[in-house]
Amino acid sequence: MSAQVRAPRVVFAPFMMGHHFGVPFHRELQRRMIFEALDHLVHAGVSGEIRVVPITWAQARKEGRAIEEQLR
Amino acid sequence: MTATSDAHGQLRSGLWHTINERYPGSMITKSDDVPLASVRKPLRECRLTFVSTAGVQLKGSVPFDTVHPIGDYTFRRVPSSARPADLEIHQIKFPTVGAHRDLNVIFPIERLQELVAEGALGGLTASFFTFIGYNMDPDRVERDLAVRIADAVVEDQADIALMCPA
Repeated sequence: MSAQVRAPRVVFAPFMMGHHFGVPFHRELQRRMIFEALDHLVHAGVSGEIRVVPITWAQARKEGRAIEEQLR
Repeated sequence: MTATSDAHGQLRSGLWHTINERYPGSMITKSDDVPLASVRKPLRECRLTFVSTAGVQLKGSVPFDTVHPIGDYTFRRVPSSARPADLEIHQIKFPTVGAHRDLNVIFPIERLQELVAEGALGGLTASFFTFIGYNMDPDRVERDLAVRIADAVVEDQADIALMCPA
């Protein structure tokens, strides 16, 4: 969708809709997604470039569950 | 390592065709690129704003009309100093299961406040801006709602903007 509307700078991760910064209580992943966007803001070379973050939703959920276990 | 796609490559082939078939005329399609605006100063000196379609708003403010057949073309200002406990979501078109436990999964207000406190960002605009993504008239979104939000972002003296759909 971002490609179709020609958004100039896009960061994409294959996360569940409504969870674009990650999973609950996973502070580092949430920060990482913001830093990916900020880095892309500075370094994108051409308009329309999409940065794909190499993390799966399954991996994010697994890490999130481990964090929640530690918080209990 | 983070990869970048080919410019305009579609990550899920066929998705756009399906959307246009089911909701004809509801999507914005552009045939030309927006020229890249350069970042004029270091991020540690930049004031960031956040624009979101997550329908997040201050508790007690007028709720978005989430059941109107063509959508709600208003936006809300959310104080960037707010706490998640001050906020609620009026939006029924995306899964909020994570956001109701930790709002930062879709509206990372605490993470952005932290980055300012750490000096990674120069500051945040007084307000963040939210609306709902279910708006079936893309021309009205582009020519009315987006313009009013852009004007408000400029008024708040933003240097950079982080935008996120829900």
